[in-house]
Amino acid sequence: MALLEVKELDIQFPTRFGPGHVVRQLSFSLEKGEILGLVGESGAGKSTVGNAVIDLLSPPGRVTQGEIILNGERISGLSAKQMREIRGRKIGFIFQDPMTSLNPLFTIETQLIETLMTNLDLSKEESYKKAIELLSAVGIPEPEIRIKQYPHQFSGGMRQRVVIAIALAGDPELIIADEPTTALDVSIQDQILNLIRDLCKSKEVGCVLVTHDMGVIANTTDRVAVMYNGELVEIGSTQQVLESPQHPYTKSLISAVPRSDIKLKRFPHVDYIEKEQESKKTIDVKQHWLGQRQLGEETDVTNEKEALLRVEAINLRFETQHAFFEKNRKYLQASNNVSFSVMPGETYGLVGESGSGKSTIARIIAGLYKQDSGQIIFDGQEISSMSEGQRRSIRQQIQMVFQNPYSSLNSRMNIFDIISEPIVFHRLANDKKQVSNIVSDLLDYVGLGAAAAVKYPHEFSGGQRQRISIARALATRPRFLICDEPTSALDVSVQAQILNLLKDLQDELGLTMLFISHDLPVIRQMCDRIAVMKQGSIVEEASVDNLFTSPQNPYSQELINLMPNLDNLSREGLDDLLV
Amino acid sequence: MALFLLKRLGQGLVVMFIISTIAFAIQDNLGDPLRELVGQAVSEQEREKLRDELGLNDPFLVQYGRFLKNAVQGDLGTSYFFKEPALKVILTKLSATLELVFGATLIIIFLSIPLGVYTAVHPNGFTTKLILGWSILGISIPVFLTAILLVYFFAVTLGWLPSYGRGELVPMFWGWETGYLTLDGLAHLVLPCISLASIMLPLFIRLIRSEMVEVLSAEYIKFAHAKGLSRNRILYIHALKNTLLPVITVGGVQIGNMVAYTILTETVFQWPGMGFLFLEAVTRVDTPLIVAFLIVVGAVFVVVNTLVDLIYGLINPTVRLTRSAQ
Amino acid sequence: MKTGMNIRSSLRGLRPHASKLKKGIIALSIASAFSVGALANTLKLAYDADPVSLDPHEQLSGATLQYSHMVFDPLVRWTKAHDFEGRLAEKWERVDDKTVRFFLRKGVVFHSGNPFTAKDVAWTFDRLKSSPDFKAIFDPFDKIKVIDDHTIDLVSKDTFPLTLHASTYIFPMDSKFYAGKDDSGADKAELKKHGNTYASRKASGTGPFTIESREQGIKVVFKRFDQYWDKQSPGNVSKIELTPIKEDSTRVLALLSGDVDFIAPVPPNDLDKIRKDKNINLVEMPGTRVITFQLNQKRVKAFADPRVRQAIVHAVNNEGIVKKIMKGFGTVAAQNSPEGYLGYNASLKPRYDLAKAKELMKEAGFENGFSVSMMAPNNRYVNDEKIAQAVASMLAKINIKVSLKTLPKAQYWPEFDKRSADIMMIGWHADTEDSANFAEFLTACPNSEKGLGQYNSGNYCNKKVDELLMQANKETDIKKRSEILQEIEKIQYDDAAFVPLHFQDLAWAARKNVNIEPIVNVMNFPYLGDLVINKK
Repeated sequence: MALLEVKELDIQFPTRFGPGHVVRQLSFSLEKGEILGLVGESGAGKSTVGNAVIDLLSPPGRVTQGEIILNGERISGLSAKQMREIRGRKIGFIFQDPMTSLNPLFTIETQLIETLMTNLDLSKEESYKKAIELLSAVGIPEPEIRIKQYPHQFSGGMRQRVVIAIALAGDPELIIADEPTTALDVSIQDQILNLIRDLCKSKEVGCVLVTHDMGVIANTTDRVAVMYNGELVEIGSTQQVLESPQHPYTKSLISAVPRSDIKLKRFPHVDYIEKEQESKKTIDVKQHWLGQRQLGEETDVTNEKEALLRVEAINLRFETQHAFFEKNRKYLQASNNVSFSVMPGETYGLVGESGSGKSTIARIIAGLYKQDSGQIIFDGQEISSMSEGQRRSIRQQIQMVFQNPYSSLNSRMNIFDIISEPIVFHRLANDKKQVSNIVSDLLDYVGLGAAAAVKYPHEFSGGQRQRISIARALATRPRFLICDEPTSALDVSVQAQILNLLKDLQDELGLTMLFISHDLPVIRQMCDRIAVMKQGSIVEEASVDNLFTSPQNPYSQELINLMPNLDNLSREGLDDLLV
Repeated sequence: MALFLLKRLGQGLVVMFIISTIAFAIQDNLGDPLRELVGQAVSEQEREKLRDELGLNDPFLVQYGRFLKNAVQGDLGTSYFFKEPALKVILTKLSATLELVFGATLIIIFLSIPLGVYTAVHPNGFTTKLILGWSILGISIPVFLTAILLVYFFAVTLGWLPSYGRGELVPMFWGWETGYLTLDGLAHLVLPCISLASIMLPLFIRLIRSEMVEVLSAEYIKFAHAKGLSRNRILYIHALKNTLLPVITVGGVQIGNMVAYTILTETVFQWPGMGFLFLEAVTRVDTPLIVAFLIVVGAVFVVVNTLVDLIYGLINPTVRLTRSAQ
Repeated sequence: MKTGMNIRSSLRGLRPHASKLKKGIIALSIASAFSVGALANTLKLAYDADPVSLDPHEQLSGATLQYSHMVFDPLVRWTKAHDFEGRLAEKWERVDDKTVRFFLRKGVVFHSGNPFTAKDVAWTFDRLKSSPDFKAIFDPFDKIKVIDDHTIDLVSKDTFPLTLHASTYIFPMDSKFYAGKDDSGADKAELKKHGNTYASRKASGTGPFTIESREQGIKVVFKRFDQYWDKQSPGNVSKIELTPIKEDSTRVLALLSGDVDFIAPVPPNDLDKIRKDKNINLVEMPGTRVITFQLNQKRVKAFADPRVRQAIVHAVNNEGIVKKIMKGFGTVAAQNSPEGYLGYNASLKPRYDLAKAKELMKEAGFENGFSVSMMAPNNRYVNDEKIAQAVASMLAKINIKVSLKTLPKAQYWPEFDKRSADIMMIGWHADTEDSANFAEFLTACPNSEKGLGQYNSGNYCNKKVDELLMQANKETDIKKRSEILQEIEKIQYDDAAFVPLHFQDLAWAARKNVNIEPIVNVMNFPYLGDLVINKK
């Protein structure tokens, strides 16, 4: 008998316009000790399935049809009280973000012990003993001390261990892990996945692992179910699905995964979702406004051998603990003697885990932070000590694309205003008519179509918004584009589209780019040269091929090793795209 | 911690200095205090003589310098009407105001939390709509009218509660007399506290409701459900504590505001507190009292904010006071 | 303190109305209630203000005089019929044009126990002459001559008809009690407008009540003086708790709910409500405070033309204002003097007549009107702001465009002193209760040396009026004096010297068993010593 059986499950979210199906006719089963990957992009309904199993669909969502059977007992349709008996005791749940799934105002002890006492009918003392055992089991050192602490005193990985400990507290038979490592750095991700895997195997616990990440699927799961638009499109053993996908969606998804083994010119077949985008309008850059330089810039023909941007010995520290006396203050060295240079037309990558100081450097270059010491030399000029007025023309030449396309656009301005703002501000156009022509062209150019101008940001998906951000960045005719994790909030297929767009832009406009990412495969696909950062310092700088084939620094080696192994991914249709 | 308090003290002094300067600067626009000191038939020459005696004819900077010199020694001037040091007059009325604010705060706390939680948990219920509808009404009715209606109903028509004043008081310490220890005193507190609370209660219900709604959608609440915890524990232990954090910050400031709102309530109920005193002082152009009142209210705000930050720090483990002082 | 409170609560408990939440306290203190005795009558009184000081000479105001009649006694006082009644002076006679002899009551003692003698009267007189507020009233007097322990002569500098009027302001103070130094070394007799003097904190008079406790602005408790000389007085109030309740509606609700027994003033808007309540006794009376507008002839040339002033007086429907805005709680005025004053001229009638007003404007050559500014206070007189708005709109009908500004009284008076607007509102009550006072302050040619026309913002000046005023102030024959004063009113009426609106009426309200009718009067000094509370 299977541990979990989901039969012909339908889930609806009623809206004003009638019932909206989020999940349709979904069936799968899971054995004891087995890890089933549930993969798909946002909106596929994969998290909804996980929530439906423990009856925590956020209202007004509800199961309209089908059955969920746990160990032969039907658990769909139970009363709230009966369901409470199941939660914690029979099914443990691990959420995506360990930063938000623990209550910030209670100690780990309180949160663990309340779970133990509720689910196992233990006394307080027994619960405490069991809590310590659990914390040790999930690999938390000095559990007696750590248990007294609050969540904010734990790092992200440690918190996720605590979450796992809590999920295991009731000795469940089934664990549902909803994107358990998405918010974590790659090295931590590996540890957590190993932990989940080991626990499942040793305790014979079944696990549904919901994720969008093919790397996680490849490394952790036994079987994989691929969901698209609320429906199961393919299910099978992990190896079989990854190596020879059957469904066109699965194929498209796999081809969109950035690969660390080979560098491609473009991502193929990524148009399964946002089909409109291949209608991209081409512009003759030489003739068009976008390709022109401003007055005064024309003489300034950049020497091909001279670096466009030189970052020299940048230091910046933040005060993390404020105190009256110097000796009591604590600092974080966010940039430690960072130096590198970017040649014209080059894409320079900065890679490292969170907190390594990548974004700090980007912000210093963009003038958002002021360094303690060191110089930023752009096109031969030291820019960080410039006055606000002098800075203005530099601002126009250096633009940034940020990570989160949801918060970086002003939701009260329409797209036309968002994109035309920098054009008007920098007085780059002669009249209103020209402004509106430029905006239309830019929107066409990034594949949104000129009609998008009258809409507002909330009417667009994440990928479309990132296109808007890129259009806005291009609106000043920059020479230098800083991309700070431009795709890490996006689904793989959308990511592939955006990365393709950036590659195209670079080819056509000759843009110079600083590309920041924590994602090594993405870096590999995008960059010419790479600097690896750790704790504010650059530990290694190398060309992309050298870094991925023969990393020198131990830290780089570790990062490369920790990359999910995707060597077995289907290579269908890639051969002619190899660089 | 000591550093934090020291900083706050410094900030408070700066705030009070600014307030006193502004108050002092505008006093000439309030009118002529002499008119309130003498009868109508008194000649202008007599009035001029008195103005000289009071130093009101000195140039502004001379007057201000004198004020500052005395203020540093804790003397904020002498009330024209009470003929006592203005600060002393205000402090004797402060207890009445604080008792009123305390009562109103209790009402707010004990009503807004359950109502706020209820409306957050049952967002579409009939009772919720009733509570929210009533709270809109509550915001839009002026406190003056609320107070008059309450008195008319409970004091005049039903004869249950007294219509004005503080009733029987019990002396405590430092000249503090409390109405909380006698039946009569408590009866006198009921209506003024309700009317004062009526201004803030809707705000607090809505504040708690919206915070609670937000907290209830938080991941850790979902996780708490997934842990199999009981509903009450999730609502009243996990969610409420998180809800109260922002409520304390906003609420604390509002309670400070309430000290200012007492002006109307105290006038209607002839409540011998600071706000009532202030209004009288304005009509009488009792400038030393006005300046002293503004300074004391400024001090109350600083103290309330400091307390709020201390409490916030106690509840929220992620906040260290040394940082919040920035 | 606490027992006092309990007694009070229990006394309230004896009244049928007070059946509130206080039963517990009543039960606790029933014993002490019996010890006080069933005759004890407490009056809970709410005025709109309490006395600013216990020193009766510190400020000349209604609240001070109300207080003076409780704790002190005047030499003579006004009766309801606007006659003089002896109090500390048993009788009096005019010795010559300048001198009136007073025979003082014997056997009177101050609250301190000191006997009352002529010396106290002389001492008080001297102190009054030094008081900024009262010195103007006593300026015409030269001195008091002490004839013997119980006889004095009040001597004026010149022939003076108003000696008795002024002696209503002489409330003899206990000269021995106020002798010597207080704890801080200051003179006990010291009189200071702004300062914490002994006399402002302590009082010893001969009046029906002593002060038991006082929290300024909150409550004053008076107790019947057991050695009070007036054994004839029917008054049976043993204790008075005076609470100042500034807010009109609160004062009314306190009476309606039974929390107080007697209130004054009664706001006009609540009169109907109170009339309807059968537990409440309302006493109304035409008042003596006249409300007028003055037309500044210096600022506006047109106002110098009597026809324009006439036109304005004819255009203002003061009967309408009394009816609509004052809700009938006012007496229409055509002159400064209220009925009962010597100068009251019964032949002068209100004269609203819009057609005539227009005709007069045409005659004066101002058919098309002009623009003027107007100022009025907004918290000094009853409905002052609304009245000013009404007058402004009435003047629009004769094409006078008025830009009106209303101010709180504290800011209004400095503007008034500066004569900042073309038309300004002023209300006046004669401290002397005599018609000449109106002319002296409001209509005499402004002359700061002689102290005349201090409140004449219209700059109206008619030599004849000034002459008649001088005559009146020397005329001791009441009939002749009355004729002179009436002539002044007639001249001012014909000149349209000012725009008369109305007299503010007075009203007091009390619970049915509190018999206030006999003790209230047009001066608004309720003689609380004579107040009778009936048993119910």
